[in-house]
Amino acid sequence: MTVLNVDKLVAGYNVKKPILKEVSFSVDDGEFVGIVGPNGSGKTTLLRVLVGLLPYFSGEITLGPNQLNKLDRRELARRVAFVPQMMEPIEGFTVEELVLLGRTPYFERFSFENEDDNDAVSWAIDELKIDNLRNRSVTELSGGEFQRVAIARALAQEPRLMLLDEPTSHLDIRFQVTLCKLLKKLRSHRSIIATFHDLNLASRFCTKLVLLKNGEIIASGRPSEVVTPENIWKAYRIKVSVKKTSGNDKTKYVLLP
Amino acid sequence: MAKKLTKKDERLVLFGLIGSLFLIMLISLFIGSVLMSPAQLWHSEILWQIRLPRVILAALIGILLSISGVILQGVLRNPLADPYILGISAGGAVGAAISIAIGAQFVVFGMSSVPVSAFIFALIAVFIVYKLSQVAGRAAPETLILAGVALSAFASAILALIIIVSGNLQTIYFWLLGSLSSASWSNVITAVPYVLIGAGFAYFFSKELNALLLGEEMAITLGVDVEKTRLMLVGVSSLMTAAAVSVSGLIGFVGLIVPHFIRLIVGPNHKLLVPYSALSGALLMVIADAISRTVLSPIEVPIGVVMALVGAPFFLYLLRRRRTEGK
Repeated sequence: MTVLNVDKLVAGYNVKKPILKEVSFSVDDGEFVGIVGPNGSGKTTLLRVLVGLLPYFSGEITLGPNQLNKLDRRELARRVAFVPQMMEPIEGFTVEELVLLGRTPYFERFSFENEDDNDAVSWAIDELKIDNLRNRSVTELSGGEFQRVAIARALAQEPRLMLLDEPTSHLDIRFQVTLCKLLKKLRSHRSIIATFHDLNLASRFCTKLVLLKNGEIIASGRPSEVVTPENIWKAYRIKVSVKKTSGNDKTKYVLLP
Repeated sequence: MAKKLTKKDERLVLFGLIGSLFLIMLISLFIGSVLMSPAQLWHSEILWQIRLPRVILAALIGILLSISGVILQGVLRNPLADPYILGISAGGAVGAAISIAIGAQFVVFGMSSVPVSAFIFALIAVFIVYKLSQVAGRAAPETLILAGVALSAFASAILALIIIVSGNLQTIYFWLLGSLSSASWSNVITAVPYVLIGAGFAYFFSKELNALLLGEEMAITLGVDVEKTRLMLVGVSSLMTAAAVSVSGLIGFVGLIVPHFIRLIVGPNHKLLVPYSALSGALLMVIADAISRTVLSPIEVPIGVVMALVGAPFFLYLLRRRRTEGK
């Protein structure tokens, strides 16, 4: 089932110089889509449009049966969650309190968190394996731990679609892999779109890649179809050779000196 | 680093606050420039018509100003925000003074026109400060304070002019220094609805205030209509300030000191911060009022002076701490 469909999307900060030019792609249930491309190619802009932070000029975005710009903020927040590249930890908040913020779109005006909200928080904390951090202050956590808390907060929103902006960029290599494995597991509940700089990581864990350059899609599809020397050359102007590990569809690539 | 309280500790602190508030209010009834035995007092006008309304009014003003501070700090994302420092109080005082000077003390919807006029001017003040601080893009905490200082000075000058022209120099002390010396039951009745409305709003919007702790954009992605929420809450905060100013003049720093201390104890979660600050604000004002009545007895030190003597050094300390933290 299609969770998200983007059709000829034009968006940016200036209508005369749009950053995204007629971008079209779709995301199915349970997919883990990686958005890759050089700096300034429009990766973050795309996520900001999809989470409703940036209005779009033309094109169509449909979330399930609805048009994105027809949904009100609360309704949108129940379907799409966003994990920014850098989230400020709130001094004095515990992990549990921070994750509970993800329930904001479900709170009624004259009441506070109920059983459902507490269950969702516990579930999100379990999924991210941060139960041991539950009562810790968020400012005491390491970068990798906090990133997981930030993702748990988004997961507590129980969205159909989770957007992550460079989730691995501030992590060491071990945490990068741990996190990608977690995300890959999470997609069984939600579809995920994440931007990546690391092509190797993206092609290894994503089910689908979208390669952007100057706001246009150069290639999209399975990682093995997207990560080819020709596409990499088009996007980044560097020469690479791609080595496939035998057997399954896992692709690795090696840069030529 | 805020220490995390258990649910039991939270309740303990809450009951402790309520208990000490009642105790201090009770003690405060028996102290003052006129010394009387409890039995004498019981049958005296001084207790029922002077001290009791005054003590209650002090508590109500404490609630108004401290919640106003919590809201401003949350909505403006500025830990130094306070209705007095931002010039909202002074703006409100101008409105109240104009209303009194032109004798327009008619009744609007069953409420005195003084707080209504104070509210309008408080809103103008908050609007000006906010716009000024946003000139350089994102409002920096210190810019907001500077804008508030300038506006405060300007409003105080206008206030002094109004009072001089209207020929009542005595009342200038009341307005500029903040005083509860003319507290009456009618003041209490004026203040009560604002306390209820303001506290209710702040409490039920604590969810939005919490979401805003993550920043504006994250609050938007959590479904919060940030613009609308901010407008509404700044309005409520100005209304509370205006109500306080119209019955007690300019009392500063309550909205700054109280939320800071409460944050240290219960953390920044507004669901706790709002009620705990309200109670502590009431407690602080009742104590400050008792001091103002007794410290130089029989002369009364205006409560605004007491608060400034404590609050201004605290504000400087906060500024210094922010600087040394390199924020």
